[in-house]
Amino acid sequence: MTNIPKNIEPIIRLNDVSIGYKHDKPLVQIPNLEIFPGEIVAIAGPSGVGKSTLLKTIAGLISPISGSIEVCGKTIPDSPKRGKLGYVPQSLGLVRHASVLHNVMLGANAGHNTPIPFIGVCLPSSFAKKKAIQAINSMGLEDKISEPIRRLSGGQQRRVATARTLAQCPELIMADEFLSELDEKTVGMVLKEVTKYVKSSNSALLVVEHDITRAKMMADRLLVIDDGRANPFITEPTAMEVKL
Amino acid sequence: MNDFNPLRKFLDTFFGPLRSWLGIFILIFLFSIVVFDGMVNDWGRASQGLGNLVTFFNESLWPPDWSVLEPRAYPVCTVYPTFMDFTCSTAWIGMVETMKIAFVSTVFGAIISLPISILASRNLDYASFFYEYLTRWNDGGIIFLLVSTLSYLPRFLLAAFRSLPSIIWAIFFVILVGYGPLAGVLAMTVYTVGYLGKLQYEAIEGMTKTPLDAAEAMGLTRFEIAFKVVIPECANDLISQVIFMFEYNFRHGTVIGIVGAGGIGYYINLYLKFLQYDKVIAYLIIIFVVVLIIDFISIKARSYFTEDIGLNRPSWKSIFLPSSVNK
Repeated sequence: MTNIPKNIEPIIRLNDVSIGYKHDKPLVQIPNLEIFPGEIVAIAGPSGVGKSTLLKTIAGLISPISGSIEVCGKTIPDSPKRGKLGYVPQSLGLVRHASVLHNVMLGANAGHNTPIPFIGVCLPSSFAKKKAIQAINSMGLEDKISEPIRRLSGGQQRRVATARTLAQCPELIMADEFLSELDEKTVGMVLKEVTKYVKSSNSALLVVEHDITRAKMMADRLLVIDDGRANPFITEPTAMEVKL
Repeated sequence: MNDFNPLRKFLDTFFGPLRSWLGIFILIFLFSIVVFDGMVNDWGRASQGLGNLVTFFNESLWPPDWSVLEPRAYPVCTVYPTFMDFTCSTAWIGMVETMKIAFVSTVFGAIISLPISILASRNLDYASFFYEYLTRWNDGGIIFLLVSTLSYLPRFLLAAFRSLPSIIWAIFFVILVGYGPLAGVLAMTVYTVGYLGKLQYEAIEGMTKTPLDAAEAMGLTRFEIAFKVVIPECANDLISQVIFMFEYNFRHGTVIGIVGAGGIGYYINLYLKFLQYDKVIAYLIIIFVVVLIIDFISIKARSYFTEDIGLNRPSWKSIFLPSSVNK
């Protein structure tokens, strides 16, 4: 496990949380979980156990059934400050008819551009645009910058979603299977860029990954969600210690 | 033990097929026949209809009087070259005016309806935004009441605008502002707001949720979500609907002229009053041809905004010719 000084505040803190869509049928119950700056944590488990639901709950898109979740110093449902949280959904959430730059600018504006109070409009910012172009270049998409998303391949679309989050420079990146549909060479490139960002900016990465070998390779800690029974979080013996 | 139940067997044999969707459809159809029969007192009148049509067609409608394409006697036509003098005809003048009314009211209607439809879309949930915003100052029941009203107001407005047909709006505006295209533009604009607004909020509500989820997680403002996520994501549908609405407004623009709201309908009404049906049928044929042309153009125009842009865009030849001829 990464060495974390004791006085550092976690980016995410889950206290006795149960999540799910139906109040009488929680999908997952988590006694305690903390994720610290600079950490990469992978969530693995079979399909349908609630991995993506856990990410959505931490992102504030679904309310937890019970317990409390603290993200970037704010307890859900109070959303964390604009741009603090980057989310790459499994189906990416890109604006399909808009260009690559438009999509990545959404993240860059969220992270680096303050909207005018009461109206919510951002004025054009050259700094945000610079960040967006940097992120697009880092994902190797410089030749696709004005291409609409619907014309890109599945793998290229995944890289755009990752670039959108990197351009945002968030404190926490939550990525749901963001490496699927990518070839091995591109996986290496994307992973390198994301890891570099997480380590250099002292942010955290919480990633859902169905490929357990890849999850072990990229993560500092591995959380395996079992079939939503009494103790759904178990420590993977080969992974590093899970702090529960 | 004998499980044989004669009643069940009887029901399965005779009513079993009715449990399927086809059975339900047949039942609904039969019900509509019964309702229709209840409304019609004398079915003999329907059989006379065909004979009446033949008489009316032979004696009054055919052949069409194409003098409607000739220049009006007054004001004197000064168009040069002379083969262009049909632009001084009532058919041309009325048609151009109808097209102008349809164009202006579609543009005005689209601009007004877009913000209303964004506020009306349930998936964007502006009601909760207003609630959060207003409860910063006051947490009382009055805020709850205000927010509830605000959340229903856009849908209420759109439904109210849509509930009256454009011809009734035209009568209303003719009373308010007098005869002419101004009344036509106002009537068609109001109706466009109601009709297009409904199409727009249904398109917005039909969009996938993940772009909204990603935007919300990033902390984008409601304005940014509306204008940078929702509108670009639904742009194809929205543009396609505006083109459809122009076509619709043109067709209805011909009708509203009948009540004095400008356009070709004014001349149709004029000749109807004088029982000059051969001129009326000439106008109707012209409208039909123009509607067809607009329909073909809109197929082409809408193809620029469909998902497979540039891949399966129809050629002009494929639009005008049936696919069997076009192979």
